[in-house]
Amino acid sequence: MIGYGDVVVCAPVTIPYVRRSDKGATWWLGSALRKLLEASGLTKPRIDGLCLSSFTLAPDGPAPFVQYVGLSPRFLEFLPTGGACGVMALRRAARVVQCGDADVVACIAGDTNGPNSFRDLVAQFSSFSRDFVWPYGAGGPNASFAMLTDHAMRRTGATREDFGKLCIAQRQWAQRNPLALLRDELTMQAYLAARPIASPLHLFDCVMPCAGAEGFLVMHQAQASVLGLPFARVLATIERHNGFPDDPLQWRGGWAMDADVLWRQAAIGPDAIDLVQTYDDYPVISLLQFEDLGFCAKDAGAEFIRHNEFGPGGNLPHNTGGGQLSAGQAGAAGGYLGLVEALRQITGQAGERQVANVRHALVSGFGMINYDRGLCTAAAVLAA
Amino acid sequence: MTPMQQMSAHAAEGRLALQQCTGCGTVQYPPRQLCSACLADALEWRATDGEAGEVLATTLLHHSHAAEFYARLPLRIALVRFDAGPVAVCLLAEGCTAGTRVRVTARCDDHARTVLMATP
Repeated sequence: MIGYGDVVVCAPVTIPYVRRSDKGATWWLGSALRKLLEASGLTKPRIDGLCLSSFTLAPDGPAPFVQYVGLSPRFLEFLPTGGACGVMALRRAARVVQCGDADVVACIAGDTNGPNSFRDLVAQFSSFSRDFVWPYGAGGPNASFAMLTDHAMRRTGATREDFGKLCIAQRQWAQRNPLALLRDELTMQAYLAARPIASPLHLFDCVMPCAGAEGFLVMHQAQASVLGLPFARVLATIERHNGFPDDPLQWRGGWAMDADVLWRQAAIGPDAIDLVQTYDDYPVISLLQFEDLGFCAKDAGAEFIRHNEFGPGGNLPHNTGGGQLSAGQAGAAGGYLGLVEALRQITGQAGERQVANVRHALVSGFGMINYDRGLCTAAAVLAA
Repeated sequence: MTPMQQMSAHAAEGRLALQQCTGCGTVQYPPRQLCSACLADALEWRATDGEAGEVLATTLLHHSHAAEFYARLPLRIALVRFDAGPVAVCLLAEGCTAGTRVRVTARCDDHARTVLMATP
C-alpha cells in the first residue's frame, strides 16, 4: 500500500441547504465552485482537476458542466455513487495530485430539489428499482431500509430507543450548526411518537430531501501552505461496490471486507479516532458502520450505542454537523456532508460545535440503494 | 421484449417465471439479459405455479411516492428468499413474520408489471 504522501484536503464549503429550490443543479454546483475559489483565493485556471457528483444534472453531464462554468480541467471525474461519492472523490483526487496529473482538484457535489425531484429520482433510480420495487408501492429507500432495520433489530437486539439516541445526539449537534435545516429540539418522547413511515421506521429515522451543495479542494501541502489554507492529511481510504453479494440480506456492508486494510494503512485503530462521521440516511446504517469498521464487534452494535455518548460533550462525537438526519439530504451532497464536516472540525472551522483537539477523524460513505441493499461503501481516515 | 416483459407474460397466465442459466445453472431474480454469475446470455425461464421460500424481513409501508398506492396503504412488504436461491421483494400476507415459510406466486398488475405475492 502506498500512502498519500504530502497530499492534503482543504477548503470545506457548503452552499446553504433549502427545502425546495427552483434553481438547477448547475447553479448549486457552480455556486460551490465559486465558494471554493473564494475560500482559497485561487483563480479558475488554477483548478485543473474536477470531481463532480449530482443526480439532477441531466440532461447535462460533467463535460457540459465544465463549459457551463468556464473551466478547462485536465482531469474530470463524474461519480454518480450517492452516499459514497465524497470519499471516492477524495481518493481519486488525492492520487491524481500525488502523481502529478493535476495540481488542484475541486471536488463538488450538489443537487436541486424541485416539487417532484425526489419522486422522479426514486421512480427512475435504476432498472431494478423501477421494475421490481416500485410496483409494490415501495419506490425509494424507505422500504428497503425498513427491512434492513427490522433484521438488524433482531440480530443485535437494538430497540427504537437505541436508534433514537443517535438521532437525538445528532439533533443536539445540529442546534449548534446554522447550516442544518432541522434544529428544533428532538426529545425521545417525540422521536418515539412520530408517525410511522415503514415499520419499524418512523419520521425521525428518515432524512428530509432538500437542495444544497458541498465541496472541498485537494492539493499538495506546500500549495495549501502558500495559500494559507488549514488542511487535513489523508491517512487511508477504502471503497467497495456490491460487497458480499451472496448475503441474502444486507446484515453487513462492504466496509467489513476492507476495514483491516483501512486501519493498517492508517497505522492507527478505531480507538485513536476522535470524531466519527458515518453516512446516516437511516440510523441503522450508522450501527452497521460502527460494527463493520471495527468500532465494536459484529452483532454488538446496539450495546455499543448504549455504552457510548455521541452528542456534544460525549466520548465519541458523531455526525457533528447534525448528519443528514438533521442537516437534510441534498442528493449527492449527502455523500460529501460527513467529509466536509470532518474537515471543518480538523481545521478548527466548526464554530459553536467545534470539538477540541481533533487529531484523527473517520469518514464513511454508503450509496445507491438498489433493489434490496446499498451497493457502494467507502471510508477515509483523516488526520490533523 | 425486456426480461420484465417476458416475466410478466408468464405472470399474466398465473405462472411465476424465474430465469435460469443453461450454462452454469444459476437461478436469478430480478431477471436480466445476462447471467449474473457467468455472464452468458443463455437464459431460460423456469415457470411454475409458485416457488417455496422463507421470509427474511418485513415492513408495513405507511407511505408511498406513487399515487396509485395511496388508497391501498398500509402495504405489507417482505424480502423473501426462494429455496431456489435468489431474494425477492414481495407483497406479504398477514400473519407472516421473519422465518415464516411461504409460497410465492405471481400476477400481472394494471401496468403489465409482475407483482409477487407471498402467502403461508
